[in-house]
Amino acid sequence: MKIVDGQKEKLRIEQLEVSYPQEGAMQTALKSVTFTLYEGEILSLLGESGSGKSTVAKTLIGLLPSSATVRSGTLILSGHSSIDLSRPSTSWSEIRGRGVAMLFQDARLALNPMMKIREHFRETLHAHRLASKEQIASISEHWLTRLGFTDPSTILNAYPHELSGGMCQRVCLALTLCLRPQVLIADEPTSALDTVNQREVLHLLQSLQRELGLTVLLITHDIALAEALSHRVIVLNEGRIVESGLTSQVLREPSHDYTRQLLASRDLTSDAKAISPPDASSLLTIRNLFKTYDAEQPILSGVNVQLHVGEIIGILGQSGCGKSTLARCVVGLEHAQSGTIHFRRQDITHAKGSARRRLARHIQLVFQDARASLNPRFSALELVQTPLHAFRVGDRKERLERARYLLEEVGITGAAQHRRPPQLSTGQCQRVAIARALALQPEVLICDEAVSALDMSVQAQILELLQRLHRQFGFSILMISHDVRVLRAFCHRIAVMHEGRFVEFLQGNRLSSGEHAHTRLLLQGADEPESV
Amino acid sequence: MNSRRASCALGFGVALLALLAGSVFTASWLSPDDPLAMNVGARLQQPGMEHWLGTDRFGRDILTRTLHGGQTTLISCGLALLSAVLIGMLLGALAGMFHGSVFDIVLMRIIDVLLAFPFMVFAMVIAALFGTSLFHLLFAVVVVWWVSFARLTRSLVFQAKNSTAVDAARVLGTSNTVILFRELLPQALGPVLVLATFELGNLILAIAALSFLGLGSQPPSPEWGSMLADGRAHFMTAPHVLLGPALWIILTVLAFNCIGEGLRDRMDPYEKARIG
Repeated sequence: MKIVDGQKEKLRIEQLEVSYPQEGAMQTALKSVTFTLYEGEILSLLGESGSGKSTVAKTLIGLLPSSATVRSGTLILSGHSSIDLSRPSTSWSEIRGRGVAMLFQDARLALNPMMKIREHFRETLHAHRLASKEQIASISEHWLTRLGFTDPSTILNAYPHELSGGMCQRVCLALTLCLRPQVLIADEPTSALDTVNQREVLHLLQSLQRELGLTVLLITHDIALAEALSHRVIVLNEGRIVESGLTSQVLREPSHDYTRQLLASRDLTSDAKAISPPDASSLLTIRNLFKTYDAEQPILSGVNVQLHVGEIIGILGQSGCGKSTLARCVVGLEHAQSGTIHFRRQDITHAKGSARRRLARHIQLVFQDARASLNPRFSALELVQTPLHAFRVGDRKERLERARYLLEEVGITGAAQHRRPPQLSTGQCQRVAIARALALQPEVLICDEAVSALDMSVQAQILELLQRLHRQFGFSILMISHDVRVLRAFCHRIAVMHEGRFVEFLQGNRLSSGEHAHTRLLLQGADEPESV
Repeated sequence: MNSRRASCALGFGVALLALLAGSVFTASWLSPDDPLAMNVGARLQQPGMEHWLGTDRFGRDILTRTLHGGQTTLISCGLALLSAVLIGMLLGALAGMFHGSVFDIVLMRIIDVLLAFPFMVFAMVIAALFGTSLFHLLFAVVVVWWVSFARLTRSLVFQAKNSTAVDAARVLGTSNTVILFRELLPQALGPVLVLATFELGNLILAIAALSFLGLGSQPPSPEWGSMLADGRAHFMTAPHVLLGPALWIILTVLAFNCIGEGLRDRMDPYEKARIG
C-alpha cells in the first residue's frame, strides 16, 4: 500500500534519548530516535530483544520504569500540544486510552484475574466517562461482536482465566478500541500465542485497521509479521534507527548490513546432507502412552513413536497438545497412566528413585526457559559440572576439564565461563544448558521448545550448534516445537501432534505433503500470512 | 528498593550493632565497677559526672548494670534465635520437600496449635512447672519461636520444588539430598535470615517482657527487662532509671532491623548481578 504524499501526521516523536542505570553507569537505551506515524498506516518497529523497541512503546504511553531517564524527546500527538518527555510532570491520563492505547504482549497478564470481562469494560469506559451505565452493556457487546465473538454475553460474564490466550488478546483489543484511540501501540501482540491463535488475532487486527482506519505502531521481532501487516518499517538496533522506509523496499532491498543480517537469519536453511542419517536400530520406543489429569480431557491419548539411533524427530503441535507432557514422561518427571516407554530393552515407564536417576546418563532434557532451568547462584562452569558431580565422574580436575571443554564446544569461552546466569544473555544461558545436558554423553536429547524464547538470529545459531553437536556426538534428538520453520530445517521426521496423539508422520523435507487436516492448519499458520 | 539505600541500611545496622556489642562485651573493662555493689547513700541519683546514667534504688550505677546486663540479654537471645532458626529450617525444609506427606500434615497441625497458644501463658506454665530461671525462659521461647521459621521455609521450599531449576536438577540425576542443599535451602536462606533479624528484635523485647514479669533472670543479676521492671516503681519520681536499658533495647532492635532490611536485597542473586 502506498503512502499518499501529504498524509496527515498522527504522532511524531523527535530526538528521543532514554538511558537506564546498569553496572553503576548509565547505559543508553535509545539514541536520537525520530519518526512520524501517519494517519491510517501500520508502522512496524522491528528489532531483536535489547534493541530498545519496547522502551519506545513505554515512552509513548508514559510507562517507563522510574529508574529510566529520558534525556530528551518531544512527543507530538495531533490535537494535543507537544509534550517535552524529559519533564516528569506530563499528565498522561489525558493521553492514555483515548490518545495512545496499548495492546500488551501477554493479554492474560494484562487483564485483572479478579474481574469479569464485563467489569473490565465498565472500568475502562467509566474512567473516560464515555458511556452511561445503560450504554456500557451495548457498547461492550458491540465491540466483542466486531472482534469475532459469537456469544458476547457469555464472554462478558467470564473471568480471564476461563478464556484462551487468543480470546484474551481479542478482549484486550476490544477494550482498547472501544475508546477509539488515535494511535494503537501493539507490543508483540501475538508472540505469546500459538500459530492458529496468532493468525486469528492478526486477521482481526488487519481487517479492523482497514475498516476503522486505525493508526497502528506494531512492535515486533517477527519479520514475517512486519512484512505481512505493515506499510512502513523502522529497523532498530542497539537503540538507533538503522533503516526505515516502505516495507517492500526495506525488506526486499535492505541497504543496511544489520537489516541484511536480520533477514538472513530468518531462513533457517540447512543442507540435508549436514544431518547425518539415522541408524536402523531403535533406541527409544513409546507405545500407547496415555496420561490424564482429569478424566474428561486426556493430555496424552495413545502416543506411539520409535526413535532410532542418531535420528532427529520433530514434534510439531499447538500449545496444550501434550508435547511437553510427553517430554516430561520420557525423562521421568511425570508418569503415564498406561502404555510403555522402553529405552533400549529396558522398561522405563514407571522408573522412580535411583532407577530414574540412572536414566539421566542416557536421556537428557533441554528446557524452553533456559534461564529458569539454571540455578542463578552458580557460575557456568559449576553448572556444567553438576551432573558430573552427581554421578561422580572422574575426579575434581577431570570434571573441571570436561566442563571447560563442553563450554568451549558450545561457544562459551574465557571470562563468560565464570559468569552466573543473571550475567549471561538468554542465548548464552541456552548454550550453558545444552553443554550441561551433554555432560554425561546422553544418547537421547529432548529439546522442549529449546529455541522458541530466543531471537531469530540466536535461534539460527543455537540450531546450527545443535546440528554440529549431533554430527559430532551422534545422539538422537526429540525436537519439540510449535514452529514449523525450526523443525523443517532440522529433522529427519516430523510427528504432528494433536489432542494428545500423533496424527501424522512426515519426512522433514516433505512437510508440505501433509494430508491430515490439522497438519494443514499448522502449515497454513506458519507460511507467510497473506500480505496486505 | 534502591540498592544503595539497602547497603547504607546494612552498613549502619552492622556499625551500630558492633558499637553496642562492643560496649556490652567489654563492660568489665569499660566500667570496672561491680554491677551488684549497693550504695544506699547514693540511691536514685540523677545522671551526672559520677554516674552518667544515674543510680537505681539500691544506689547501683545504671550504666554499669546496663552494659553488664546486655551480656545476658544478647547471648541468650542469640542462642535462642539460633536454635529456633535451625530447628525451624530443618523441619520446614523436610515438610516442604515431602509436601502432603503424613510428616508434613502432623507438623503443620502442631504449628497451628503452637501459633494459637499465647506465648506468655506458655512461658508462665514452664516457669511454674520447672521454676523461674533464664534457661527455662529460653526453653519456652525456642519451643514457640521455631514455628514461624518452619512455616516460611516450608512454603519457600515447596515453591522452589516446582521450579524449572529443580526439574532440571532432577533430570540431570541429582540426588534428593543435593537438591535440598543446593537448590532448595539456598532459596529459603535469604528470606529466613531476614525474618530472623526482624524476629531478633521481637525476641529481645519478649525476653525483656518476661524478665519484667519476673520469669527470666532473677535479681540481683542485671538484665535489661528485669531492670525495666525494677525501675517501674520509681518511674514517676526518677524516670532516668529506665533510660539505660530502654536506650540499649531500642538501639539493638534498630540495628537488627536495619541489618534485616539490607540483607533482604543482598540475598537476591539477581540484585547482585545488577549492581555488578
